Amino acid sequence: MDLFLQRLFDALSNGSTYALVAVALVLIFKATTLINFAQGEMGMLGAFFALQMWLWGVPMWIAMVIAMILSAILAAGIERVLIRPFDPADHLPLVIITLGLFLLINAAAAIVWRFDPRSFPNLFGDGNAISIGGANLGWYTVGTIITVVVVLSLLQLLLNRTKIGLAFRAVSSNLESSELVGIRVGPTLQFGWALAAGVGTLAAAVFVANPIRQIEPSIMLRVLIFAAAAAALGGLDSLWGAVVGGLAIGLVQSVLVQYLNEWVSFPTTMSLAAAVFVLMLVLIVRPAGLFGTNAVERV
Amino acid sequence: MNSRWTIAAGSSQHRTYQLVTWGLGVLAIILIAFAYVDVGSISLGENTYNISLIRLNKAVAFAVAILGLQVVVGYTGQLALGQSFFFGMGAYIAAWLVADKDWHILLTLLVVIPACFIVGVVLGLPALRIRGLYLALITLGMAQVFPSVVKLESLQPYTNGSGGKIADPELEPPGWIPFDGFAEFLQGIPLLGGYFGDGPIPAKQEERLWKFFLFMLIAAVCFWLVANLIKSRPGRAMRAVRDNETGAAVSGVDLAQTKTLAFGVASALGGVGGVIYVAELGIASPDDFTQLIAINFIVGLVVGGVGTLSGAAIGGVIIAVIPDWASGTQDVPGIPERWLQGPSGSFVLGVMLILLTFFMPGGVAAGWRRFKARFITIVPQAPVPAGAPMTEVAVEAIEETDPTVE
Repeated sequence: MDLFLQRLFDALSNGSTYALVAVALVLIFKATTLINFAQGEMGMLGAFFALQMWLWGVPMWIAMVIAMILSAILAAGIERVLIRPFDPADHLPLVIITLGLFLLINAAAAIVWRFDPRSFPNLFGDGNAISIGGANLGWYTVGTIITVVVVLSLLQLLLNRTKIGLAFRAVSSNLESSELVGIRVGPTLQFGWALAAGVGTLAAAVFVANPIRQIEPSIMLRVLIFAAAAAALGGLDSLWGAVVGGLAIGLVQSVLVQYLNEWVSFPTTMSLAAAVFVLMLVLIVRPAGLFGTNAVERV
Repeated sequence: MNSRWTIAAGSSQHRTYQLVTWGLGVLAIILIAFAYVDVGSISLGENTYNISLIRLNKAVAFAVAILGLQVVVGYTGQLALGQSFFFGMGAYIAAWLVADKDWHILLTLLVVIPACFIVGVVLGLPALRIRGLYLALITLGMAQVFPSVVKLESLQPYTNGSGGKIADPELEPPGWIPFDGFAEFLQGIPLLGGYFGDGPIPAKQEERLWKFFLFMLIAAVCFWLVANLIKSRPGRAMRAVRDNETGAAVSGVDLAQTKTLAFGVASALGGVGGVIYVAELGIASPDDFTQLIAINFIVGLVVGGVGTLSGAAIGGVIIAVIPDWASGTQDVPGIPERWLQGPSGSFVLGVMLILLTFFMPGGVAAGWRRFKARFITIVPQAPVPAGAPMTEVAVEAIEETDPTVE
């Protein structure tokens, strides 16, 4: 029982970071119907910004906010210069651009900060919030869950109560029609990218703030696949779906794979393969995910 | 565009032109092989850039793998990007057969090609329902899984885990090839002879030369087969699927069959590339088949030119040479030395990928074609009057005007 609870807690902490990265993916997908392969790397770069400022003596949470703003500005620039010139319906050039960004950002971070892992300041304090028998729920896990809830609530407010949020929802529901009613589509999409980069930076920082992890340039490589599986499971255009998907993928990784390991000696190193399998299953059986809208194709 | 010379397709001039260009190409390859069989290098200031057959041999392996990507991405338009998976699979099967079963490295192709084809088809089956971005995502995920598959404990006896599987390909050159005589002949050429070294070629370098020509031959066969595939009925179906899937289906193209064939062929080519890679390096290690290699293949595909055969060859050379040269660059005025020691190769490849997508969407191959068009235009023959039977030449001429057919 203790073991089960402990695994459940692990699933919560992993799942909520996947949920945050998945939310960033969903924001960009809603804006440009594009999966941003560079999302993980953009977040990693933002986390490095925060780390660097913290090393220069800026208090951690202020450094986080500045890093989020910096990466939002960077992402807005990327959208304007590299994404907007291309036809959103033609996927190949866009995939190539985001893969190029992936290589570029990963290499740039490795050039500046090297590949050696560094410890990231713990954002939420040490110790355990709750201990039930042998199972410990750390303050870190509590912090990530609160972060997810706060981020989602703020996003919900932003999208539902503000003018730019309304414009964003209009554009993501129908690009041509919203252009016709006078919404400036370009800046709205740019807003989506900036928002995604901010959330992505927070996600990466929360992920590496886990006491068992350290930050290094390739830390987000694996996370992207887990997060993409989470986003697809929840439906690629649903924010709360991304959270549910993230927690579900966390459960698969930290509970299901662990038990499979005991029962049928499924190797734990293959949790990534399990995520890819879930992703494939969702896309075959229910491409719209659990909460996504079904895409209607006009021929 | 006005060009200096105009040649009618199918005329005797055209045939001479083709013969001469092909002949010059083959001659250039032979000369390069003999000139750089020892480790040659060019120095610019503090930087040394190695040019040697080892890198060219790697380039041949990469080129064949990228050729596979051309079939599935360039000609069929399916974003299956996990080519490193099949590259690694071919490499590991070959390494296992050579090291543990004492097979000849070339015989392993007989196992690798069908095995990769079948796995490609099976993994391609779900892809029939998954399109565009989602397919890209899944295939990149598969590429990422591959190293941990190899390191699995249950596969340790076959793959030797993270240590890598050592397999000596033992490609001894046969005695009847007069490498020394030919080298002596090249060294005797006035003025240029100095580039071809001095005296007879050591045994080690002879082996390298032999490998190079062998790999080039395998690659040439692959390119020839794909060139014919693209022009054949299934190849036309592939291009139809790429250009308009619905239109192709309406015209009677079996989408599932065409896509599956493309996946299979691409995977088999990836496997062949892997065999060449192991034959050159003598070891298959998990770090050589990461997601980064899959992305490098895409860089090669795009920089060389999507949907062109020559693009695959150019791309192979680019991804074999650039990371190496970038790490050889240790001294550039204005850039801190510490930065140059980082993974500057990946950085350069990423920049190239983005810049070429913007400024030269057809890649180097398209750029070269535009450059060539200033000097030589090959025009199709005058159209055949209505009612008259089409000659074979006219049919060829029509194919010639399709820019995606080489």
